[in-house]
Amino acid sequence: MLLAEIKSVLSFAAFKAEADDATVPWSKRFEGRKTLLINVSRNQTSWRGVNKKGKLDDGGVMEGEFSDIAPQQAEEWRLLADGGWCVVSINNRFIMSLETNMMRGDNCTNLLRTNPRAVLGPKYDRGKRYAICHHPDTASSILLTSEESMVKVTEDVLKTIGLRPGRVCSGLFAITEYAVQELFVNQRANVAPNLALICACEGSVAVLLQQDGQWKELRSRSGMGPDAVETSIQIITPLLQKLPQGSPIYFISDGQDVKYRTEVMSQLERLGAQDITQEDLMWNVIGIH
Amino acid sequence: MSNIICHDFKTPRNDTSKRLPDTFKAIPILFYLALVSAAYLMTMDWMAYKKSERDKVSAEATKADFEAATKELEAEKTSIDNETAKAEILAKWMEGARNVQPISVAIARAMPKEVRLSDLSIERSQQVPSNLALSVRINGGSAKEVGVMETGLARLQYRSFGSQSTKDGDVVEYRSTLVRQEQ
Repeated sequence: MLLAEIKSVLSFAAFKAEADDATVPWSKRFEGRKTLLINVSRNQTSWRGVNKKGKLDDGGVMEGEFSDIAPQQAEEWRLLADGGWCVVSINNRFIMSLETNMMRGDNCTNLLRTNPRAVLGPKYDRGKRYAICHHPDTASSILLTSEESMVKVTEDVLKTIGLRPGRVCSGLFAITEYAVQELFVNQRANVAPNLALICACEGSVAVLLQQDGQWKELRSRSGMGPDAVETSIQIITPLLQKLPQGSPIYFISDGQDVKYRTEVMSQLERLGAQDITQEDLMWNVIGIH
Repeated sequence: MSNIICHDFKTPRNDTSKRLPDTFKAIPILFYLALVSAAYLMTMDWMAYKKSERDKVSAEATKADFEAATKELEAEKTSIDNETAKAEILAKWMEGARNVQPISVAIARAMPKEVRLSDLSIERSQQVPSNLALSVRINGGSAKEVGVMETGLARLQYRSFGSQSTKDGDVVEYRSTLVRQEQ
């Protein structure tokens, strides 16, 4: 053990981030190594490889339960990941809700992972995993609540096929985090007080409504499937009706399902919605950041 | 792309260690520097050792050359010392024979060019040290040269007693006792 530690110091490995150190961006953790990105939806699993240069590589999509797909794709997935390291986006069985006056701070994210009760207090529910995204200027926060059993089962399935999850996240929440950062931090000066942000990721959708500079309402639904355009519109429309006329509406999606995106946007464009989706956005967010 | 870090709610592991701070990179850097310095110093030491070995061989060769020269000089000195010792003995003899040298000169002067002295002996008598026993062998001489010789000795205040002169062919052998005449 001591020898291994000395070796890691002399090879500078001890100064590199641990493969599953959540405080370091994925691309920095795996510089010069291939990794695998997996998005697990209710009846579909998609994946992409990240090559040694940190660029997105080949991928695939397969219909069915993840526990059935994983053993079939194990060999291909292992080839795409050096050391078996992968990111898993669990795009099913989660809820996004709007909370206020949540604990903030540098260590808050880490604490939410290791001791969520300390952050959430009475809102903490045993058997759930959490992630949080704060409004930069107000006391509002978006809280992601995911089923712990779902996370554990997914991790176990990956372990049995020789893959190591270095990050377990939600693709939809990752896209939401990215959009919040872009709109409310990077474009803070231009952001309107009334707006709607619609995020979609492989059959899961979330709508965030801001009124008078405050996040007022959030609706999300996971595991609807990529064909549920009508259901998505039914979730989105009531919230958009609460916005004053002419308020900006932003639509952002995973950047790979063109059909869903086109169909949703064809209806939203009538309300003046703006598509801020980038190609392969979800993969870039979970595989680079 | 913005600089957010994606959320993560994987099952926490407790067998991980945090990365070391960047300032600690000085430790392996110093280690490698020490390694390189040690290798450099060892190489330099090795090269210096090899050079000193070559210098030692060269110095030993020079030392051998000098020792040979010293031995040669010592042999020459010994030879000179021997010559000196011989010269000193000769000088001592010359000094000791100073009072009989005029006799030798007188005898030599008495001999003409064509006559040779093959043997000349002047010995002091042990009983009467003032008397000298003279023995001369003259090649190609005659009684005349003996007479001239006696005359020359007489001038030096020596008188011959019991002189014997024998002639055997060209060789005249003359013996006598020279007695110093006090004035």
